[in-house]
Amino acid sequence: MVFSSLFFLYFFLPVCVIFYAASKKIQTRNFILIAFSLFFYAWGEPLCVYMLIISTAVNYLLGLIIEVNRGRFGAKAAVFSAVAFNIAVLGIFKYSGFIVENINSIFGLHLDVPDIKLPIGISFYTFQIISYIVDCYWEKVEVQKSFSKLLMYVSLFPQLVAGPIVRYSSIESEINSRRTTLDDLYAGISRMIIGLAKKVIISNNLSMIVDSFFGSDIKGISVVGTWYAVIIYAMQIYFDFSGYSDMAIGLGRIFGFHFDENFNYPFICKDVSEFWQRWHISLSTFFRDYLLYIPIFGRRRKYGGLFLVWFCTGLWHGASWNYVIWGLYFGVFIFLEQLMGKKRMRKIPVAVRHIYNKIVIIIGFGIFYFEDMGRLGDFFKNLIGLNGNSFADAYVSISFSNNVFLITAAVLFCFPAAKLINTLSAKHPAAAYIASVSKIAVNISLLLVSSILLVDATNNPFLYFRF
Amino acid sequence: MEQQNDNFNIDIEIKRKKIRKRKKRWLRLRLFKIINVVSCAMVFLVIAVCMILMKRPEISEIENRTLAKWPEFSFKDYFSGKYTAGIENHYNDTVPGRENFKDMVASIRGCFGVKSDEAKIHGTIIKKDNKKPENKVIPSETDESTDNTQHTQESTEKPVTKEQPTEKKDNWDDPAVEGEISNNILVYKNRGIMLYGGSYENGETYADSVNAFKNDLGDDVNVYSMVCPTPVSYYLPEKYSDLSGSEKDNIKHINSFLSGVIPVDAYSALMNHKNEDIFTRTDHHWSQLGAYYAAEQFAKAADVPFAELSSYEKEKRSGYVGTLYGYSGDADLKNNPEDFVCYRPKNKYETEYFSTDLSEQWEGSLMMDLDRLDPVSWYLVFMGSDTQVAHIKTDVNNGRKLAVIKDSYGNALIPCLTGSFEEIYVIDMRYFEANAVSYLQECGITDLLFAMNTFSATGSNYECLETIRTQ
Repeated sequence: MVFSSLFFLYFFLPVCVIFYAASKKIQTRNFILIAFSLFFYAWGEPLCVYMLIISTAVNYLLGLIIEVNRGRFGAKAAVFSAVAFNIAVLGIFKYSGFIVENINSIFGLHLDVPDIKLPIGISFYTFQIISYIVDCYWEKVEVQKSFSKLLMYVSLFPQLVAGPIVRYSSIESEINSRRTTLDDLYAGISRMIIGLAKKVIISNNLSMIVDSFFGSDIKGISVVGTWYAVIIYAMQIYFDFSGYSDMAIGLGRIFGFHFDENFNYPFICKDVSEFWQRWHISLSTFFRDYLLYIPIFGRRRKYGGLFLVWFCTGLWHGASWNYVIWGLYFGVFIFLEQLMGKKRMRKIPVAVRHIYNKIVIIIGFGIFYFEDMGRLGDFFKNLIGLNGNSFADAYVSISFSNNVFLITAAVLFCFPAAKLINTLSAKHPAAAYIASVSKIAVNISLLLVSSILLVDATNNPFLYFRF
Repeated sequence: MEQQNDNFNIDIEIKRKKIRKRKKRWLRLRLFKIINVVSCAMVFLVIAVCMILMKRPEISEIENRTLAKWPEFSFKDYFSGKYTAGIENHYNDTVPGRENFKDMVASIRGCFGVKSDEAKIHGTIIKKDNKKPENKVIPSETDESTDNTQHTQESTEKPVTKEQPTEKKDNWDDPAVEGEISNNILVYKNRGIMLYGGSYENGETYADSVNAFKNDLGDDVNVYSMVCPTPVSYYLPEKYSDLSGSEKDNIKHINSFLSGVIPVDAYSALMNHKNEDIFTRTDHHWSQLGAYYAAEQFAKAADVPFAELSSYEKEKRSGYVGTLYGYSGDADLKNNPEDFVCYRPKNKYETEYFSTDLSEQWEGSLMMDLDRLDPVSWYLVFMGSDTQVAHIKTDVNNGRKLAVIKDSYGNALIPCLTGSFEEIYVIDMRYFEANAVSYLQECGITDLLFAMNTFSATGSNYECLETIRTQ
């Protein structure tokens, strides 16, 4: 089930909210959330839902063992086996096919490639469980004594299938007691609708442009056409993924949870390192906090750790070499930026820095798009006209004029335009009134327009569902 | 002292006023928040209730398909996730008032930008085949890159129509699936133009197959090849000419590979009438008028009599919006319907139909009643569907028996030839399930015409001919 479907918005969600609101006790509310979350997950993964429960149970028990053996070897053994178990589950379900394929091609073998369907959201919830168990070991959080509460944390449907990777520490207290205030409801609904609009109005329609250019053989696409399409793709994926995160955060608030932000206007970054502090924040901070801690390369060799993080970031996105290349590609630029040092970076004119990082980021999304190495090669050749492709043709001009308002809106909302309006309007009482009234109209019209567009949703799944 | 007290009181009063004002403002903003939450919640509830209670449509006229049905339960489907996906698909696909919402979607998308010099473009950019091979090469059968019929709106649902020649037939052509359309559509001055990629290599395979038919049937049967051009050859503005491959060159290339087969030059025949309504603006087919001029050219090549247009009974309907709207979702096509015109031959003839494997036979009419067809499907007026085999006996007495092997472009030709041949057999190469050569020999035909559009001849249908010849 995806958030941007009529079935979710106009069946699952209202029913869930009504049940939730009708119950008063926190235990009942938690039970309702668990039931709906498992139903939500089982809807798409009727079998893998059991794996989610088993995974949670194993980690729950290991958490208890950590608690009992505090300070002793037992705790270390428990946390080690928990992490190994979680990585093994992820490895089997996500990477076994990829690993066997590569073994086959390196050693010339013909081993059967296991055909395992990737359970939706496994990369997200596995990381959540790891964060819980490691934090338990580090005594950053208390071990959860109630299995159902831990299950609720793992399976909570707003963040279950496509992030953000919510840390147990950030909602620990809210699992036990929480209330939804008017502000929560207001902010939650507004946030959810904005996320929906980002996905359905902007991202889905940008994806039609991208598909029209990259959907078939790309060798004939002009140089300008290739740049145009990949820029649109960068925006598409931003609106897709940040839209999903907005919906998750909004839904969470409706139920009284406060998740951390996952995006912070990544395209306004001044260098590539900053981009990653603003893009998919929950993933970068996860690697920073849990992977860099492991002293594989020794503390002095921080660059080894850096490349390990970027290798993992790439691989996390998918079992395909293009993602690994994509991760390492960013690793290289971040490495170079660290070599330069912040002071020297600051001396470069801001405009140059913006041009540099936008080109790096946009080409990065090209690598992200083309899973097939041959097509990725064609893409690079296309960018500089090495495929015998023309410099420009009428496609770009027609496509651009046909979508000029959509693209303008997309560019505008990549920047904190809405945030600026909010801050300005808060300063003057009259402006605050106008803003409040117009927000009613904005919410309702965005919701209606998105819903109408969903009737024709041929191109709808969130991109981050594959991860 | 008193003054100080006064000042103090005034200060308190001002502060109180300020607090009251602030509280008032806070309350008002709070009220707006409540209104916002309540109205959004109402929208959710009202739509949810409507979606659950209101009657759900079963078919889509615009897209010519039955909408997703509630899936049947089986444990296998349930565990594979197919069952739940089916329910969701049903819920999302059969929204009450779906067709109206689809129109709204088209209007909303129309607001995303402006027309570039009256042009809008839809679908995946086609790959143009610019390389005309010098020498004859054997095409690889698995070369998918030459397939220029990419489509995004492919549907696995069966299409529907209101009228069929018999209750048995439930299938009419879904052009995207059947390879006679490209989804790369340029809408220019309210006319949908499918951009053509072409493939010289596939064209050669087409020519080889047609030659093989001639070889198999021998000298007693005249074989003709008429590859029909589409609007892109006549209405694509010069400035956009680089967006499309050349149908003319592809047809020429095919003709150069024909041996013993007589090419019929539909391209020039239509060019002479470019300013008439030889193509519909909103549909991917030609009009019957266009088919008539092409048939005239064929009649000349075959040296058979040909009925004047004035001898037909002309029927005209307004409000026609054809398939290209469904494929492009372009509001300009929807908002500018055209007239659908067909011509019914007045001479006497009888029509019978056979199932695609020839096992069943039934009587029917060559041309359907327009009233019994959905407007979007008016092109089905010719024989009601693509699939079945048709046999027409006419009052002509010249000893000539024609077989037409065709895609849906061929359908509109048939009524134009009832005054030219004694008997006409019609076979759709995509559906025929028997061996075509032996069937044609059994029928004792004297002439065989291949009639299909360029997208079929050089696209994914080029292999069908070989299949029906050898199966």
